[in-house]
Amino acid sequence: MSEGYARENELVSVESNVYDRAMDVGIALSIVTFVVGMLTFADAVPLGATGTELINFFGLLLAATAGGVGIVAVFSYANVVPVTSQRVRGVAFGLLVGLVGLTVAAVALPVSLATMLGLILLVEAGLLAAGGVASRLELVDTDPSRTAGLLAGLAFGVIGAITGAVIVGSLPGVPSAVVGVPLWLLGAVALGVGFGALTIGPREDLGSTLPPALILGVFGATIATAAIGVGWQWAPENLSGGFTGGSIIPLFVLFGSLLTSWSAAKCRADFGARGRQYGAFFVINLNAFLMVAVMVAIVTYVTVKGVSWAFHGFTIGALSLLVVLTPPLVLTIQYARAPAGTDEWHTAARQFFRVIPLAAVGSLATLLLGIFVTGTTFEVPYQYAILVDRSTVMLDTAVSVTPSLQVGNLLVIVSGALLFTYFLRRYGSLRDVGTEYEQLSSVRQGLPAAIGLLGLLSLVYIGIGPVLDGLPIGIGVATLGAVAVAALALAPLGPLVTGEGSLADRAHRNSQLLNVGLLGGVALLTAVVVFEWTAVSNPRLGPVAPVGVVAVIAALASTCAAGLASRARRATDDTLRHRILGDQVTLGLAAAAGYLTLIGLHVAATSEVPFVLGPIEIGIQGSLSWPAVLQGAIPLGEAPGGIYPAIVGTIWIVIGASLFAVPLGLGAAVFLTEYAEQGRFTEVVETATNALWSTPSIVFGLFGAAFLIPRLGDNLSLLAAQLTLSFMLLPLVVITSREAIKSVPDEYRDASAALGVDKWKTIRSVVIPAAMPGVVTGVILGVGRIAGETAPLILVLGSEINATNAIDVLGGFAFTTSPPFVTNDALLTSSAALPTQVWAIITAGVSGSASKGWATAFMLLVVVLSFYAVGITARTYFRRKINYE
Amino acid sequence: MLSAVTADVQEAILGEDPTEGALRTVGLSVLLLVGTILCVLVAPGFALPVLAAFVAASAYGWTTHQAEMARLLTLVATVLTVLTVTFITVYLFLSAAPAFAAHGLDLLTIPIVNGEPQWFLWLDFLLPAADSIWNPRAGVYSLVPLIWATIIVTTIAGLIAGPLGVMGALFISEVASDRLREIIKPGIEILAGIPSIVFGFIGFIVLNGFIQKSFLDDGASYLIAGLVVGVMALPTVVSVAEDALASVPNSMSDGAAAMGATRWQTMKSISVPAASSGISAAIILGLGRAIGETMAVAAILGAVVQPTVPLFDMFDASSTLTSAIAHNYGSASASTVDVLFVAGVLLFVIVAGMSVVSQYIERRISEQMQGQQ
Repeated sequence: MSEGYARENELVSVESNVYDRAMDVGIALSIVTFVVGMLTFADAVPLGATGTELINFFGLLLAATAGGVGIVAVFSYANVVPVTSQRVRGVAFGLLVGLVGLTVAAVALPVSLATMLGLILLVEAGLLAAGGVASRLELVDTDPSRTAGLLAGLAFGVIGAITGAVIVGSLPGVPSAVVGVPLWLLGAVALGVGFGALTIGPREDLGSTLPPALILGVFGATIATAAIGVGWQWAPENLSGGFTGGSIIPLFVLFGSLLTSWSAAKCRADFGARGRQYGAFFVINLNAFLMVAVMVAIVTYVTVKGVSWAFHGFTIGALSLLVVLTPPLVLTIQYARAPAGTDEWHTAARQFFRVIPLAAVGSLATLLLGIFVTGTTFEVPYQYAILVDRSTVMLDTAVSVTPSLQVGNLLVIVSGALLFTYFLRRYGSLRDVGTEYEQLSSVRQGLPAAIGLLGLLSLVYIGIGPVLDGLPIGIGVATLGAVAVAALALAPLGPLVTGEGSLADRAHRNSQLLNVGLLGGVALLTAVVVFEWTAVSNPRLGPVAPVGVVAVIAALASTCAAGLASRARRATDDTLRHRILGDQVTLGLAAAAGYLTLIGLHVAATSEVPFVLGPIEIGIQGSLSWPAVLQGAIPLGEAPGGIYPAIVGTIWIVIGASLFAVPLGLGAAVFLTEYAEQGRFTEVVETATNALWSTPSIVFGLFGAAFLIPRLGDNLSLLAAQLTLSFMLLPLVVITSREAIKSVPDEYRDASAALGVDKWKTIRSVVIPAAMPGVVTGVILGVGRIAGETAPLILVLGSEINATNAIDVLGGFAFTTSPPFVTNDALLTSSAALPTQVWAIITAGVSGSASKGWATAFMLLVVVLSFYAVGITARTYFRRKINYE
Repeated sequence: MLSAVTADVQEAILGEDPTEGALRTVGLSVLLLVGTILCVLVAPGFALPVLAAFVAASAYGWTTHQAEMARLLTLVATVLTVLTVTFITVYLFLSAAPAFAAHGLDLLTIPIVNGEPQWFLWLDFLLPAADSIWNPRAGVYSLVPLIWATIIVTTIAGLIAGPLGVMGALFISEVASDRLREIIKPGIEILAGIPSIVFGFIGFIVLNGFIQKSFLDDGASYLIAGLVVGVMALPTVVSVAEDALASVPNSMSDGAAAMGATRWQTMKSISVPAASSGISAAIILGLGRAIGETMAVAAILGAVVQPTVPLFDMFDASSTLTSAIAHNYGSASASTVDVLFVAGVLLFVIVAGMSVVSQYIERRISEQMQGQQ
């Protein structure tokens, strides 16, 4: 009867009746009680709440629900998220009705939350019983089976048996046994059989409503009459713990609401096969959402707890933040520009959602601009906890954005490199477009030679130090290179601005100039910067550093070229020319980003003075100050410092483990899948690797501690940690790579063989590229798992709590004349790491700072979950790509 | 005879049809690699230079005889992987041997409670009993409390992860719409990615306080440890069970649909029974994960080793096999370390055994399902 879908402008379909509405309210009530039960369990609201507190609580719930339901309703009305299922609509409606009712009841009745919950359970019991009876008396049109089924009978039998045992066992003043049989056993058997019979015996509509109604009635009555009240306690003699009202009431409520939801969902779908499906699906859905809720709750909780310590004293200049913000800004622009596609969404709504991220990032950027225009510091002050002499002390701190125009070179390099790669990937090619000039082709041929020469010179400088020390060769070469780059970058602008024909004509004709000038300039300047680094010279002509200045000029020139091309592009209708000019725009932007990156690299290479350009200053030291992440612990200081050593340690562990495990595992996977004969040997290896992958990590720790450490200098060491974790990672790499290689269709190999390609070339150019997405995803997820691994580390790396200095692996390498010729003391010493630091705080007991622990756990989560985010995104991306191809 | 062996070796290293001159370059690499391994065993100081020579020879071979070199390198990777795996296993067993020899059956001593050996699943008639069961100073070690703690924690975890995990797998493979699946599946994966030490930290700081207030306990308890480990084992059960459900041929559920069955009837009577062995494999793997879980348990249960009295007291606490290793290894004497190795081997054997069993089940199923398609 009420099966069809509602029409879009109706709340619920006309055919649904009071019975359906009542059951929807029942389901909604069960959801509300479930949530309230959870909240009381987590102590978010006291069970003894009365009066105003209770009214406020329900009012808050009502407001939140009304907001949520309202937003979804608006989206549904706007056809963004069309909600057509009338059951969903009914439950939403029921939620509002139920919560309004509860809020009114909280105002009208002078009772505590516990009593209220008892009353709700009683109401739910009444609803279920009424629904069942109404269906049995054929007052409503339902479709019940003959019986509720053996499975349900069994389940209720077990529930009844447990209830019986507890009730009889806890009744005061009854003998504990009758003729040698414990009385609780009798109670259990009696109620168990009774409930089972009541479920299986009558028709389905009674069988699946009366038993839950009875149980709910008992629960509700116990709570409402305060037989089990808030202060109730029961500690059985032989257990170390016991039960309190504070834990039993929420448990009753949670269990009761699950029963209600199942039974009411059955009623709602008119029993029978359809009813069972609705009931079962409701519980399955609830379970799935609960799992995700647990995940979200854990991540949120750790974030909330850790974020205050992790960001103490965080200060950043507005320009630095703007530099960091540029890549996301570009991405959001691209996202907003993306073509509409053929989604079923309402066009306006779709546009809206495309623009929202752009608006958010854009407004942030404007805010930053405002900060250095007005020159005021933006500050969010708050307090965070530190531990001084085993007692918690609150310190004042603030997160602030200063109007500083100073930017660190690392930020420039990272942002610029990201943008350069992004634009270059979007850029097609202008190789065969436009006029070929004779001089230009000679420049094109000369460029690689010049770059090669510079590279050679760099090698000479690295090998034997500055040659002909007296002569300023370094400065001369770098200056010459810079001048050449300036010429290259400025070359395209002249013919673009002046010349015959329309702007589009000129741009089209001079494509080669753009191509060679911009890209060649970037390549040559890169070589110059590398040379600067080897020559340890910062060429200066008077007050200016030619390399930096040329980079700025070239960046400006590239931007101008991009702008001109973009303007020309607007004016053309021709499709081919449109594309060519589009490529010129991306090329110009890529070159600009590349030149800006080179400014950062130039500063890093010369490392003497900051590069000053008007008020903007790019230096080794930026305006970013993040003590929690960039400092070691400060013993006996006013501020606690940070966890930099632990972060560095974790990074080195991950790098070392991957360096060892990934090539080895990948090679083994290729051999096992492509070369080895599939049979007993590969099967045994597969079983063994799988078994090793599920082996407890602590066992690997035992191996590392007993075997590796005595052979690696006999103390806890970073190298031992890297090797131990790589042994853990190895089986996973083999498993995932094998799976990815196996999933490459045999047709690919056959087609390649049919073309006469030999086996190795097939593997290299067909199999591995096709398997790469799977391998990369698997390895990223595996590495994420390794990054959070703790158990083996505490055996082979130890656990440091307040490390002050980070391990210096790169600086630790030293060459010796005796074997083994290369040593690295840093690798053979212990280091802090994020997971072991959390463990150290746990074992330190009262002298471990919980707030620092939360911050470390938060950082660890950030590290691990970013690996997961990258892995999962990559997988989704590749899967989509494969599906669309 | 000798020439036959040489030919076999040559084929194993070079593959079936090597190009001319490959033997020399590849052979040089093989020799250098063998040299490296010998150096590691005999004169570790020279291992690095010889390894560098191997790398150089391989790089040369890569340019001249790429196909053969690639084959050789992947073969080397395989051999090294297999050797590593075998070596770890053998070494563990060897390290545990001294403790076996020294203590024998005493490692399974049952505590004496109230003057009598504690009832222990009818094993109390077979095993020795003593007042003291864990006292490193006196050299008294019994793994019984550790084993029992592991059993309780795993049972509670299994009770949570089993049903909820199977329901989650049903949701992902049968119930969820595509869009919902795109949200829920990564969500569960991320749940698997949360490091165990974070779970442990939450358990240690938050949940142990909760249980003191709500369950009148003194802090550490199996109940909380089991709950947390259950949540951690959940994703394993979900993903493996989901694979099993997904491998049920569509033709079977199509047949059910053609008979007019609802989706729930199809799931209940066709999919789940057909995938039942895969689901049991999932639960076995989940239990394996729960047994091997270390840091969360170590943080929540603490370092105490004590008998659980009565056996089913889920509010009690004692180290498990894994957490005993984590807590004791650093400060342990040599004899304690040997006993910890016994615990490690026990864990290894149990969990690896579970993995092998579940793989066997899965393999059999995939053969069956392929037969039916």
